[in-house]
Order: sequence, then structure tokens, then C-alpha cells
Amino acid sequence: MSSDSTCPSPSVKSPDTFITTPSDGPLSAARNIVSIPRSNSDNGALSKIEDLLESIIDALDTGSELVIPFRRPRPDAASQTQDLSQQRDARQVEVVRFPGRNVQEAKKFEALFRIIELSHEALLKGNVITKRNIYYQHPDLFRSQSVVDVLVDNLAFTLGVGRRDLNIVAAAKGLIAGPFELVMLDCSVQNCDQPGDVGILLPCIEAIDKIAFNSVRWVLVIEKEATFRTLAASRYAKESQAGHGILITAKGFPDLATRKFLSVLHTVRPGLPLFGLVDFDPHGIAILRTYQYGSKRLDHEVDATIPDLKWIGIRSHDIMSHNPLNADVNLGNHSQSTQEWSIQESQLCTRNGSQIERPTKRIRVHKLQDPGDVCAPLTPNDRKKGVEILRDIRSSTEHIVENEMQQMLELQRMLMLNIKAEIQAVDDYGDLTTWLNERLYHECS
Amino acid sequence: MSKQYLTLHTVDQAHPAEIFSLAPTPTTLLSASGSSSLRVHSTVDANFPLIQTIQDAHKLGCHHVATAKGGLGNVAASVGFGGEIKIWKKKTSEQNDEFALDWEIKPTKTSGGDVWAVALSANEEYLACTTSDGRIHVWDLTAKELIQTYETGARGGGSFAMSVDLSRDGKFTASGHESGTVYVFNNDAGRMVYSLSGLAKPVRAVAFSPGCKRLAAAGNAGIIALYDMEHGEHVGNLTSPNARPAWVTSLDWSDTGDYLLSGSLDGKVKVWEISRGVCVATHSETEGAIWSARWLPKNERALAPGMGKGEMFCAAGASKSLTFYREATGL
Repeated sequence: MSSDSTCPSPSVKSPDTFITTPSDGPLSAARNIVSIPRSNSDNGALSKIEDLLESIIDALDTGSELVIPFRRPRPDAASQTQDLSQQRDARQVEVVRFPGRNVQEAKKFEALFRIIELSHEALLKGNVITKRNIYYQHPDLFRSQSVVDVLVDNLAFTLGVGRRDLNIVAAAKGLIAGPFELVMLDCSVQNCDQPGDVGILLPCIEAIDKIAFNSVRWVLVIEKEATFRTLAASRYAKESQAGHGILITAKGFPDLATRKFLSVLHTVRPGLPLFGLVDFDPHGIAILRTYQYGSKRLDHEVDATIPDLKWIGIRSHDIMSHNPLNADVNLGNHSQSTQEWSIQESQLCTRNGSQIERPTKRIRVHKLQDPGDVCAPLTPNDRKKGVEILRDIRSSTEHIVENEMQQMLELQRMLMLNIKAEIQAVDDYGDLTTWLNERLYHECS
Repeated sequence: MSKQYLTLHTVDQAHPAEIFSLAPTPTTLLSASGSSSLRVHSTVDANFPLIQTIQDAHKLGCHHVATAKGGLGNVAASVGFGGEIKIWKKKTSEQNDEFALDWEIKPTKTSGGDVWAVALSANEEYLACTTSDGRIHVWDLTAKELIQTYETGARGGGSFAMSVDLSRDGKFTASGHESGTVYVFNNDAGRMVYSLSGLAKPVRAVAFSPGCKRLAAAGNAGIIALYDMEHGEHVGNLTSPNARPAWVTSLDWSDTGDYLLSGSLDGKVKVWEISRGVCVATHSETEGAIWSARWLPKNERALAPGMGKGEMFCAAGASKSLTFYREATGL
């Protein structure tokens, strides 16, 4: 990874097998190919970088102090507790000087200068450099990957551009799987329908030229890598009752590359529904909200939000087994909760244990269980986080959109009941497909 | 013999969000929801009209509102998701009696955990509130000061106190905890007298009988446990056979102590006859959760011609509506 400066591109097919031109006609239509719009708008990142370098060279000529402007977004700048003067402080231009007041500042200057230099070179050559690669250029200087990450984002923030405008990207973190292909700018084709459970590493959106959606009907954004792997291994993207789809995960808190990919996906295919599958806890909702509305630290990045991402689960009604919705969307495999309970019984167990399961066709028996069996109590930190998100929703706008109303309701229920549950709460001995079929079928039809 | 209750009136969409808590006074019913306002409906008019909306009472929504059981109904207390407690007092104006903010206990003024459940003493002079780390604070509302804190675990390590009640004689405080334990404190002695752990699952509601001789407790176990307050003995369970127990969210004794009202997450409201230990009425107008069910204090006169003076109760929850029921008498 350290040696390549472009996006990773595993499983590259020969370009000959998949050459598409506008004249492809019916073939192209069947493959449902969409070109990714290139943002040609030059927002002047190169000239801004060159101005910076020039001013440093001028300073060297005149023998004056070397200065690089450097600001950082304050994560709490938007919070209400701050008064206006503090907010103004947050926006004040800070600088990094050389030789500076101390060794730390001198080192910071050198690190920053290195990044500017690498970005400049990448911009001139028109290629892309990963943050990981920057770190490996000078591991002694940067000391850790996170130092590079912070410097890069703050440099972009200072220059008023996106990280990508500096031709710097994060190493891919997201995984993607499904019966569709990505046609890269170098004309290679990545088939995302791979055997195994890992899918392919999500390339950065700027390296993708076209997407062949084929017969994809839905996109499922999954919080957890483990859930993604289970679904990918069972080829759920191909075998779902809701039709073909795309599975994607950013392995927890979403990175910029995954968010931008989804944002572009939604732009080129606005009719393709995007669903978010997260844990029923404040952290899950925070992840969902980052996909939908972005994060505060990277607020200066554009085209990285998907407000239309629909929260498919899991929700309180998924774990409260009395929920009537469960029965409604049961695809005919309806079975009522008929078991009578002995009141003296303090141990409420599921009766799935007695089920004889066949892999292909099976009757779904609803879990007759106490919701408490699949829930855990919220920790003090969970409760704090939950209240924080409530406050965030309340303070963001005067008018709260429907999405956020739902999040508020679920957060309040979580706090009321003091419970949380993981995605696994709705699965059937590790098999999530029955539940997902019900939900996706319901949502897509 | 089962009793019959009829749906008397429904106030649809009484709140724009789920209704989490109800608190009656002799003439009104206060309701709290996931939205920021508190609402007050008249209970002495057959149409149950909205008579007051307290806007922006709790910005993040309100999970508990309480009035004094058997009290005059001049004081109410509400707790918001932000952890703030607000005390409301009735101010008499020319047209209407309206609740106005008297005092706010900011989250920073209560040590340890978020404030959760709240209860008022019958004389409307004391307030008990629980915290998420298992404490119970008692405030003197006249002096506006904290007079007692009961700990239920090593400092700050107690189990989430989900429910609280004060006995009408002012003698006892009871708290129901996530751990399944119910603690009873003697207020005069300022110490715990009983630790009742029979339910084993989170206790979401506790309620003293009007005579202060019994304590009812319920929650995830789906059964209602009855305890005698003289010796702290478990004297019985209220259960309905042949039904799946759902999490009980709300308990309320009728004024005579003969009946107990329960609400649960499966949308059912039940009336239990204490002397026989059986459920005498079940209502499930809604499939959504019931968060709160409360008896209304008995009226001196009938609400409308031909209605009699039977007992009434109100239930609310996920449906966002207030549903009023009355006993079917002489029919």
C-alpha cells in the first residue's frame, strides 16, 4: 500500500472485456451504465498552494521569518454554549512559523511544508496521494498517521478547499459488494460481485469513471463490518427477495471516501433508494447522522452528505416483539405468536430452539421472546451521548425534518426504556436475511 | 364479575410526539411528551378541552410530570430529557387557573447521574426525584433546598432508579430500579427500611396504596407484585393467565384503594381488583405502547347528563392521543 500513490484497485479485469462507448446501445442500457460527473471546477487549490510556496520563497530571499497560515475548525464552534467572541476566535487565522518559538513549532512547520510540497507535486502531475503514503514518506518527521490526518484536514480548512482538492485522499477503508461494476478512469473494470465475504475495497470516487448498475435496485449502508461480511458471504446482494443491490460499509464511523461515494451515487441515481442499517443505540444514530448530515470536524468538505439515506433499522419496533409491523410484512410466511405463557415462568426463552430449519424454504417463526433478552441497558455514556444528539437535533434548525423527528423519537424511547440493542438482536441465529428481506421488500415495493 | 369501562372521549393528537407521562389534578390533566410543551386539559367538561399549553417547557422533550396524589393540585413537577426539573404552581387569574413556572432545578444542582423519575408528596411540600446512578433526592419545595439523599449503592454506583413514589402519609419513599430491586425508605428516620428484590427484572413503576399499607411494583417481569408496608412482606402477584406478559410502564391506585390501573408496552390498559387479585377489565384501543395510565379524581357531579358519577381514568402513549374511560354504571 505504501508504494502506490493512487487508489487501490484490486481485482482488475482486462479492459477488453468491458469497453463501453456511447454506441454500445442496448448493451449499455442493460448494464445501466452511468458516468460519474467530473468536477472540473478549479477552485484554485493549486494557485493557493503556489501562492503559499511563493510567499515562503520571498521570505527566504528577504531573510524574514517563514510563516504558513494554519487554522483548525473548532468542533465545538457551533455549540450554543459559546458566545460570539469565542466563535470569532475560532475563526482567527493562526500561523506556524519557522524557526518558531520552540522545537515543536519548527517540526510542525517542516511537516506542514512537506505536505504542501507533496500536494503541490500531486496537483502538478495530476495524480493522487494517500494520507498513508504521505506518512510513509517521512515517518520520523510525522511520528504518527493521525498527525498527518489532522495536518491535511486543517490545511484544507485553512485554504478553504476540500481535502480532495489538494489531491490528497485517505486510504480506502470502505468495503463494497454486489452484482455491479465500477469502470475506472484508467479503463480497468472492477467487478464488485466477488466470492467470499470481503467484497472489494472501495476505490475513491475520483478514480471512478462509470458505474454499471446492471439491475441494482437498492443500496444498503451497514454500520458494522461483521454484518457486512456475513451478508456478503451469503451473497445477499444477489439473492435478496428485494432484488439485486449494493452492500457497503465504512467499518464503523464513516470516512470521507465512503460518504463521498454514496453522495455521488445518490446524485447520479437519485431514484435508487439508500438504506442505513445501524445498531439501536446513540452511537448507531450518530453514525447514521454522519452519513446524512456530515461531521463537524469535516464540515468544510462538500458533497459528502446523503440526507435521503433512509433508516431501515434497527428501530425500537424491531426489538419490541409485539410490534404489529412484524406481522404485516411477513411475506406470507406468517405465523402468529400463539404460545401461551406460564406466569410462574421467570425464564422467558425463545421457541426457535424447537424449529427444524431447511436452508431454502422455511417457515419463519417469530421470536417469542422478552425484548429484555436481546437488549442491554444503556451505559451512563450512552445516555449522555443520547442527550447530546437530542440537543444537536433541537439546536440545528427551527424546523425539524421528518428524518430527525424519527431519530428524536427513537432516542427518547431508548432513554425512556434505558435499552439498546445491536443489529444482531433481529437476526435468527446469525442469519439476518429473513429480517432484511421483509424490510427491503416492504421499502422497495 | 368483571367491570365495564367505556371509552368516553379521545383527544386525538393531543401532542405532536409520543406522550410519556400524565398527571391529574382535581379538575385538570397535565400531559408531557417528546415535544417541548406541556399541555393541560380540563377534566370537568365532557369534551376535555385543552385549557393551557406551556410552550418550551422542556426543549428536548419531557419524560415525567407529576402532581400530588390526593393533593389540591396546585403544584406540578416535570423533568426534561436535558435533566432539568421544573416546578409549576397554579396562578389564579380572572378566567382560568393556569400553571406558571415557580422554580427550576438545573441539572448541575443535582449530584450524580441524570434526574429521572419524580413524585410529589400529598401536601405538595416535598419532591422526590431519582437519578440514573441510583440515588433518590428529596427537595423541600418551600425552602427550595435539598433535604435528603438516599443512596442505593456504593457512591454513584447504584442501579438506575426508573420509578419513584411517596406515600400519602409522607412516611415512605419507594424507588424501583433497573436491577429489579425496590427500595423503601422511612422518611422520618431517613434510612432504608426494605429492600425487595422479588421482581428480578427492571422495575418501571412503583405506587403506594392510598392507605399507605401496600406498595405495588411492576416492570419488565410483566407481573405486578404487591408488598405489605408493615413488615415489607411480599403478599401477592397480579397476573393474567394465558397472556404474554408485556413490560408494565405505569401503575396507579384508585382513590379507595380497591382497584389498581396498569399500562404496558403492548398497548393494554388493565384494571385489577385488589381483594380478589384478578384483572377485571382490559382495554387495548391502540397497538402502540402505553406510557402512562392515571385515574382521575372523582367528580362531585356527573360530567354530562346520564353519565353517572363513575370512576374515570385516562391512558396515553405512542398514539399521541389522550383516551378517557369511564365506568359503565347502572346499564
